[in-house]
Amino acid sequence: MNGLQAEYRDIPVLWEVSLHVRAGEIVALVGSNGAGKTTLLKVLSGLREGFLKVARGTLRFGGEGLWGLDPARIVRRGIAHVPEGRHLFPGLTVLENLRLGAYLLASRREAAEALERVIGMLPLLGERRRQLAGTLSGGEQQLVAIGRALMQRPTLLMLDEPSVGLAPRMVATVFELVRRIRAGGVSVLLVEQNVRQALALADRAYVLENGRVVLEGPGTALVEHPKVRRAYLGL
Amino acid sequence: MSAALLLDVAAGGLLLGGLYALIAVGLNLQYGLMRVLNVAHGEFLMIGGYVTYLLHVHAGVDPLVSLVASGPVVFAAGVGVHAVLYRRLLRQERTREELEANSLLISFGLLFILQNGALLLWSADLRGYQYLDQPLRVLGTVFPANRVVAFAMAAIVTAWLLLFLRRTLAGAAVRALMQDPVGARLMGINVARVHALCFGLGVGLAAVSGSLLSMLFELTPFVGLPYTITALVVIILGGLGSVGGSLVGGLILGVVESLGVHFTAPDLRMVISYAVLALVLILRPYGLFNPAAHRPGQSVQA
Repeated sequence: MNGLQAEYRDIPVLWEVSLHVRAGEIVALVGSNGAGKTTLLKVLSGLREGFLKVARGTLRFGGEGLWGLDPARIVRRGIAHVPEGRHLFPGLTVLENLRLGAYLLASRREAAEALERVIGMLPLLGERRRQLAGTLSGGEQQLVAIGRALMQRPTLLMLDEPSVGLAPRMVATVFELVRRIRAGGVSVLLVEQNVRQALALADRAYVLENGRVVLEGPGTALVEHPKVRRAYLGL
Repeated sequence: MSAALLLDVAAGGLLLGGLYALIAVGLNLQYGLMRVLNVAHGEFLMIGGYVTYLLHVHAGVDPLVSLVASGPVVFAAGVGVHAVLYRRLLRQERTREELEANSLLISFGLLFILQNGALLLWSADLRGYQYLDQPLRVLGTVFPANRVVAFAMAAIVTAWLLLFLRRTLAGAAVRALMQDPVGARLMGINVARVHALCFGLGVGLAAVSGSLLSMLFELTPFVGLPYTITALVVIILGGLGSVGGSLVGGLILGVVESLGVHFTAPDLRMVISYAVLALVLILRPYGLFNPAAHRPGQSVQA
């Protein structure tokens, strides 16, 4: 995306934001609460609720414009979004949640293959397939949410705060999973509060403050940046 | 008062309760999904009844066969009504209060238009026909065969709906949209299309109920509203948005009403349902079967 400006009730929330994710990259997006990270993902996935609109800028994915498409078309283009708060279907089983991830896949065979692949990647989901998603622990629910997004067979996976509220061991599991997802050829755009781990994982990172990109660069370089150390790592 | 007579009365109530359940399931599907309360639900039931009556009296079509016409025709009409009246309203995504108020106004308008349209077309005369009224022995009691057949059909249609919701991907999409609209949109589920489908299904089921009821009772253009109210009581009994709850709630209300009427007077039928409604609202406002933690509108956060 280039020079993107988004407004909420006519108040700009993103200013001239330019960022890109190359194929096979993990890109982290960090910043404090209210910096505009979640809004940015919503713009990308077409979840324009209420009063959010894009005033100017361009949004391209794989050479094609994205702006104005509904979420279904964006999913078809290969962008999957695991939103903040996960938004699972609590009264549906794990299996039903996963199957709905493949809602747009044309054939049963494709959906069955996607299911096999996701369960192969996350065997826990296979064990819990008959359980209602709402009865799982927070970490397990996060895995279901990521698995459900992978069922869409994305080329770009966007994760919004996947580690929030999870026990440290589960955070490690999720970050390891992100690594494996990238190894499978999927680009990842990761929004995180857990700045240290996110920067360690990412190839490149952007720091968003008050709707503006204030820093960008390789993850390892940003960890060393005095501003990041002071503001986000408490050093 | 013998126990056998009480059982007879209760069994009769159960048979009627099966129809209540079918009526309520349709309304609950609409409300659970869109938060749109369609007070014209009973009018679609009335139309279903007239379709069956007209086909039977003028074309000699068996009332049971006519279900194949009344259900799909009213389903299609419902999809049309949704496209014309509700689609824009739902797309504007205002606050929930505004949506509920406006949709209520729309369906009141629909109620008057359909009622008066029926009055104009078919007049206010009572319309009825004799169908399968020979006695049939069921559950150790004798009932008119038409009651048993109507109950059986209601049970089949309800079972079909439950299978659709539980066993198909489209049914899972409906339930997903009820539970988490944002998650459903991210899966690429077409919200407007699922809404239209469910609005059509809801009124289609009402029409099937109307067809079945026309075998038992006479029709006028004004039969609808009391059934809408009955359906509302059932929904509140069983829990908003819970299809299984409506099923059980319908059966319970049928039995309670029959017993209540038996011990008091037929005129008090509505009073008895209101009393049930009031009691449920006081004691378990989230429905008999919803655990308190799963009130509709609250998402489960772990």
